[in-house]
Amino acid sequence: MTKARTTLAICGVALGLWGLWLLLQTLSTDALIRLPLWLGGAVLADDFVLIPLTIGVGWILTRWSIGRTVATVRTTLLYVGITTLIAIPLLLRQGKGANPTVLSRDYLRDWLLLEATIVLAGVLALVVRRRRLRRADGSAGSRLRRARRS
Amino acid sequence: MRAPTEKAFSSPLHHPRVATAIGRCLGVAVVVCFLTGLFSHFQQSAPDWVYIPSRPASLYRVTQGLHVLSGIVAVPLLLAKLWTVYPKLFAKPPWPPSRKALSMVVERLSILVLVAALALELFIGFVNTLQWYPWPFPFRQTHYALAWIIVGALLVHLAVKLPLITTHWRKPAIERETADGTGLSRRGLFRTVAGAGALVGIASVGQSVPVLGPVAVLAPRKPGIGPQGLPVNRTARDAGVTTAGADWRFTIKGPEQLTYTLDELRDLPQSRSELPIACVEGWSQGARWEGIRIRDLLALCGAPADSRIRVVSMEKDGFYATSELPPQFAADPLTLLALRLNGGGLDLDHGFPARIIAPNRPGVLQTKWVHRLEVVS
Repeated sequence: MTKARTTLAICGVALGLWGLWLLLQTLSTDALIRLPLWLGGAVLADDFVLIPLTIGVGWILTRWSIGRTVATVRTTLLYVGITTLIAIPLLLRQGKGANPTVLSRDYLRDWLLLEATIVLAGVLALVVRRRRLRRADGSAGSRLRRARRS
Repeated sequence: MRAPTEKAFSSPLHHPRVATAIGRCLGVAVVVCFLTGLFSHFQQSAPDWVYIPSRPASLYRVTQGLHVLSGIVAVPLLLAKLWTVYPKLFAKPPWPPSRKALSMVVERLSILVLVAALALELFIGFVNTLQWYPWPFPFRQTHYALAWIIVGALLVHLAVKLPLITTHWRKPAIERETADGTGLSRRGLFRTVAGAGALVGIASVGQSVPVLGPVAVLAPRKPGIGPQGLPVNRTARDAGVTTAGADWRFTIKGPEQLTYTLDELRDLPQSRSELPIACVEGWSQGARWEGIRIRDLLALCGAPADSRIRVVSMEKDGFYATSELPPQFAADPLTLLALRLNGGGLDLDHGFPARIIAPNRPGVLQTKWVHRLEVVS
């Protein structure tokens, strides 16, 4: 295991340095100064916006304690979130394509349709799950009653 | 406000087993993305020792489609992975300074490099497919260099975590079900993440798989849109090319130099090729091309079929003005100097009067508005 770990680490450092050398070779000084700002921004966006937002929404849902179907609600919200995240650049650049064949869709309409579909699917899943849970509770209850009678 | 501690995150889904399972999927996506990206890089600036075959004709279409698809699918996987290990961000390094504390700091730095590079790489990669460049550094060079840094940092990360990964590689005999307060079990979380990956994948892959075009609501490209039903990356206007008049001449320079008018080119034996336009941005679409085989033109000017050719366009821009056709592509019977597309004369935006179309090549090398071919060797 130690040997494998050492090999991995050495290869990793070598490849990383090769990438760094490529950056230093091909980018201007000006670009090299600004790149770390963008790299830092990427970390901030993930670790201090997107993930806390996900955790926060999960926490609020738990607080509300909608019951055993909360997982379905959470999954639906996650799907709405991830598709919206990817749609943001498309929505921002709507109609600003380099030529008419780039970004030719009506992204606002398509995004609304997509979110509506996800929410609808989520609601359907919720109804099915509620019904199944109730039936399970019901049959458990009737088994209990039968057991009491005998 | 005080920063939370590692213990403040109560969900049992913040667990090494979950991190291992999601990390595995993310690792596969990163490796696929890296290898297909490397292939695309070699296509565009190949060192001499790299030989790229001209077949299978749709190879680049598949690899570049996979490149963009794996990148998009990696977005929910990366977020899920970061979510799983998020409490670790608040773990305090041991104090006073020790060997253990030092190794923890080094490990954190490697993770910082990995997360920063991967998150930025996925972002600029996706935004590039919109042909939007809001950042102050060159896209191609940065995207390529960051890819090596990501793979390097990933190997270091694997080296650090190897004992943890091997421990949690397999599913434990007793899986703790629905322990999360929100009722999300491990299995439920895996399903949710897989679903998110599938969702963004299906909503975007239609730009390379025309059958799914109608639902590609998260893709910048839609198949079938554009002159002659085919999308365009660089229009004639972008390239500074106006129409070619009656004085237009095509020249091929080999052992002999031959010059043709457009009508004379049309009188040469014509061949048909069914070949896709497959762009670095990941979109692709098949099309029917008609024109003269490059190998036939080579024979006319007395050069062998497997000659290296310099293709010269009427474009003014230095980067696109010329391209090189390696011998195996020149010799391939599918490679044409195309004059017609999908049953009609080439549209000006598709390279009228003549363009190169070859199998297994990125769109950026399918040079348009060609007026000169030079046999290099």
